[in-house]
Amino acid sequence: MKEISQLILPDDVRYAEDHEWARPEGETVRVGIDDYAQDQLGDVVFVELPQVGDTFAKDEEFGTVESVKAVSELYMPIGGEILAVNTALEESPELVNSDPYDGGWMIEIIPNNPDDWDALMTRDAYIEALKGGK
Amino acid sequence: MHEEIGNTPLHDWHLSHGANMAVFGGYDMPLWYPSGAKKEHLTVLTNAGLFDTSHMAVIMVTGADAFELLQLCFTKDLNTCVGKKKAPLKPGRCVYGAYLNEHGELIDDAIVSQIEDNIYMIVVNAGMGGDVASHMTDYADLRDVEIIDLTDKIGKIDIQGPMAAGILMNVLKEPEKVFDEMFYFTFKGHFDSTSTFAGTVSFTDGTPLLLSRTGYTGEFGFEIFVNPDHLIGTWEMILAAGKKFDLIPCGLAARDSLRAGALLPLSHQDIGPWPFVNHRWLFTLPYNDDGTGFTKKFIGDEALHNIEESEHTCAFAGYDLRKVSTHDPVAYVLDSAGKEIGTVLTCVSDMAIGRHGDRIYSISSPDKPEGFNPKGLCCGFVKVKPKLLPGQIVELKDNRRKIKVMITDDIRPDRTARRPIKEMLKV
Repeated sequence: MKEISQLILPDDVRYAEDHEWARPEGETVRVGIDDYAQDQLGDVVFVELPQVGDTFAKDEEFGTVESVKAVSELYMPIGGEILAVNTALEESPELVNSDPYDGGWMIEIIPNNPDDWDALMTRDAYIEALKGGK
Repeated sequence: MHEEIGNTPLHDWHLSHGANMAVFGGYDMPLWYPSGAKKEHLTVLTNAGLFDTSHMAVIMVTGADAFELLQLCFTKDLNTCVGKKKAPLKPGRCVYGAYLNEHGELIDDAIVSQIEDNIYMIVVNAGMGGDVASHMTDYADLRDVEIIDLTDKIGKIDIQGPMAAGILMNVLKEPEKVFDEMFYFTFKGHFDSTSTFAGTVSFTDGTPLLLSRTGYTGEFGFEIFVNPDHLIGTWEMILAAGKKFDLIPCGLAARDSLRAGALLPLSHQDIGPWPFVNHRWLFTLPYNDDGTGFTKKFIGDEALHNIEESEHTCAFAGYDLRKVSTHDPVAYVLDSAGKEIGTVLTCVSDMAIGRHGDRIYSISSPDKPEGFNPKGLCCGFVKVKPKLLPGQIVELKDNRRKIKVMITDDIRPDRTARRPIKEMLKV
């Protein structure tokens, strides 16, 4: 498992407590799980994503990510409507491990509450949170 | 019960090689290495994997009454337990069975190996050395027997997979001699350099070992017992020799998924502190030929006779790799009417198998369909009442999902554990 100093944590995204990342892309926000989460999970073998058009509140469960060993819930870092889901994960769930911030993206959201974004952690704040947790 | 977490001598090696660690049986052990649990599982089927199993406990039982004490405490009848002809246990042979308490409940499962007359080596699960040793001591009475708990005093490595013998050929002295007549559940050599058997099996660097044709994956392979001072050297030597065979270190996640697909029970999960009946490992009990009784007296025998209808432990295989949880919360088993009839004990993904038609194939199946590229199936064990029969379909439900599974007699087919060494050396 990676040390905190070895984790890939880009600064063009913000981070949720449950290790999802969120990246603004114009009007929408793209979401996935971060390097810490994929490292802890191990080999991802299945991802359950919502339907396009579904709406969830911030912190509501939107799907599951399953590794060889266990199943974990995925939580909305911000609330909104699902505009798109990454269908590539059906055939290639391992993208979540190999490319968590790009090819392994999970959902694209139309945010419905601008305040949600401010509650997310910047990269530095997230690193501090990880250190505190350990 | 000890609260401290133990480490095997390979602990630092696991950390420095990027293992994802977790505590199991009181030891901080590797779950998987950067290769990942899926690759580790598959590699054991196609090549070979190396497992640090030094967290398991070894107990020596010696003395004129050692046999008698084992007959009392261990479920197998050592007079009639080897091979189809049920021959007696003898030096160089080992047997799998269980220790039960007076209520017929499992204390632990174990492999008993006879080193020579009056000397037996018992291997039990991690953290169980003290409990099983003191259980035998409690029943020893005035018998002429010595019970020595060697927890943390023996190093053990499992090498499992079709290339296991081919790899060991490169690190053993006189390997052809060692492998001659080495059948499934036999062993040779000794880890203790002062034993008369030490030196019958050695590594090329002179390290004595006890080499046993056993293991927990259901695939062909060996368990290697060495003095713990030699553990790191042995581990690195085998990895180096195995490099050209693509041997990789494997963690507990792969061990767990491989053993479930091989229908091997995990102690204190699939077998445990409940009556040791109505399961698929009845060969561990000393039934007589017509199954009407036992061939010997042993602790727990009366209770097993007198048990009222208790739950049944059955194996299942699903239709895709998605699992249910087995704790926090436990998943329930629902019959075709939606009624709760039991709980899920083990649920893992065996990544090497898939369904085609009405059969399950493995990547090792010689008759697998063309282009077979399985995505894996969930599999494991349930504890239910009433009894379920192979072919019956049930649903497993946790707080996230409900999955359809079939009760089955076999999960991962075409396993290699029992294959003759000669055949495996041609791999």
